[in-house]
Amino acid sequence: MTVVLWLVAIALAAAVAAAVGRVWARLGAGGGPWGTALSRLQRNAGGMVALRFLIFVASVAIFARWLAPFDPNVQLDIIALASRPPSLAHPFGTDIYSRDVLSRLVHGARISLAVALLAVLLSITVGTAYGAIAGYLGGRVDAVMMRVIDAMLSIPRILVLLAIFALWGRVSLGALVLILGLTGWFSTSRLVRAQVLQLKTEEMVVAARALGARHRRILWRHILPGVTSTVVVAATLGIGNVIILEAGLSFLGVGVQAPTASWGNIIADGSSNVAGMWWMSLFPGLAIVLTVMAFNIIGDALRDALDPREIQPA
Amino acid sequence: MTTPGTGPRPLLTVRDLRTYFRTDAGVARAVDGVSFEVMPRETIGIVGESGCGKSVTSLSIMRLIRPPGTIEPGSVVEFEGRNVLELPEGEMRQIRGNRIAMIFQEPMTSLNPVFTVGEQIAEVARVHAHATRRDARDRAVEMLQLTGIPAPAQRAREYPHQLSGGMRQRVMIAMALVMNPTLLIADEPTTALDVTIQAQILELLQQLQERFAMSIILITHDLGVIAEMAQRVLVMYAGEIVEQASVSELFARPHHPYTEGLLAAMPTLGAARSRLAVIPGTVPAPTRWPAGCRFHDRCRYAWDRPEREHPPLYEVGAAHWSRCFLAEEPARRHPLTDLKAAGGGA
Repeated sequence: MTVVLWLVAIALAAAVAAAVGRVWARLGAGGGPWGTALSRLQRNAGGMVALRFLIFVASVAIFARWLAPFDPNVQLDIIALASRPPSLAHPFGTDIYSRDVLSRLVHGARISLAVALLAVLLSITVGTAYGAIAGYLGGRVDAVMMRVIDAMLSIPRILVLLAIFALWGRVSLGALVLILGLTGWFSTSRLVRAQVLQLKTEEMVVAARALGARHRRILWRHILPGVTSTVVVAATLGIGNVIILEAGLSFLGVGVQAPTASWGNIIADGSSNVAGMWWMSLFPGLAIVLTVMAFNIIGDALRDALDPREIQPA
Repeated sequence: MTTPGTGPRPLLTVRDLRTYFRTDAGVARAVDGVSFEVMPRETIGIVGESGCGKSVTSLSIMRLIRPPGTIEPGSVVEFEGRNVLELPEGEMRQIRGNRIAMIFQEPMTSLNPVFTVGEQIAEVARVHAHATRRDARDRAVEMLQLTGIPAPAQRAREYPHQLSGGMRQRVMIAMALVMNPTLLIADEPTTALDVTIQAQILELLQQLQERFAMSIILITHDLGVIAEMAQRVLVMYAGEIVEQASVSELFARPHHPYTEGLLAAMPTLGAARSRLAVIPGTVPAPTRWPAGCRFHDRCRYAWDRPEREHPPLYEVGAAHWSRCFLAEEPARRHPLTDLKAAGGGA
């Protein structure tokens, strides 16, 4: 019964992935600088496999409520069903509280991905704004702003996070996103600043000023589009990074709080008996590894596809 | 020809313009006391080698000098009766792209690769005339048509990289003229183009000058372009104007040795010479202009006086000025044929 349901679910997710892929292909043929980059991305075989996989994972996360065979937090039968290895009814086994691991994994995808996406969205927004302002203004403002970044970057992120959580204790998901996001933008702002420093000396910017454009307009229309590719690549690689961080924090018990499932949490629940309950760490571990790998592969593919030297063929 | 002090009021008066860059290597006096006037509907050419201050002069007029560059106090750029160097930045922005426009040497790098050319032309109308999106777009197509681009409505939807070099320069011209400026500064507008396209662009500029009744400051190192386009010429060297005259006067009776050298270095059709004349050496670094006459170390006539003293501008003919002591001591000039025969050798 659950197997059938699961097969239907996989088919559904695959169909969604295929539909998105078709729209995607049409966008790539659209022309323009972004269309050119897209079609270049589409010719990258590894990148496309990774992208399909991510679309699949995202679909699973989005439709988790309908895909998961059981409620992820319900203890099905604490006597008969606790710590069961994979079976037809429970393909990924059950945990010590008799909860269905597959269901927890599916719902965990939702939490892990959402936390990572939102945190990275926050950090690239802050990082881009900060870096763009520093780079564009230049001079003393830039020097001060960059020394602040240097100071921030000299403290390992994981230590900062552990310190914060040690002080704060249990945090809500919103706070977790905020903390992960606000500790992750320093290197992005550096990248953006370097790019802006270069872009602002381009003749294009002088030409725009000669036509009477305001600084705001120049930043928005002439400089930020040039930074986009850098930011997109940094964001993609950043998501993988944050997934690992979140999993690590949740494993340590300071990230996503029980009973909410995240990939790190599930591994933590099985950590008392890793060898005996291998399914508790293998499946969420695979999910983490594959997803992070996919994000990294996509990041590299984007880096190639968005290379500004190739984006505007002369 | 226009003579300062008579006739109509000049559109632009530049007086004692000094633009200095305070760098770690010292103060670079890129533009060092330049004065000239541009009359309505007039084309003046500014000519000189790379690094002699032509572009910095034009950027200073537009007030587009960025730190560490500063326009020194005492400089005056009077445009339509106002000293633009004293205007607040907001008012200056109203002038840029509206009353004074500028086109650059390399239209590829001056255009934004991520927007269509139509969007970029329309942007000017949106900034200055607060035109609606639709009006601005129509205006863009109209401007493209004016610059002689075939199928302008279709071209407006293309990106810069889809156009040829000449086409891109037409787009730049279209952008510059959207607001019907009274002064167009063209900084090496044809240097990046091949000769046939160059001729087309120059002709287009002349047509549009007529149509829009504007003045043009044409910056180039190509005296051929000057001869074709300008009524008056300023020759710049090492941040200064070294000679100023009408085009016909300058070509017929060059006074300054630097101008002589530039003219001798022009390839002439049918001349029985195997080697082009060159001016030995290069423009010195702007942080270390030579004392005395700044050209003396490259000058074939130099004697001890220009090594010590800095020459003023002498009036050497009708509306013809030259910054050379030869105006006082003409006997020191060897025959020009020497220069040609020697191939400009030092």
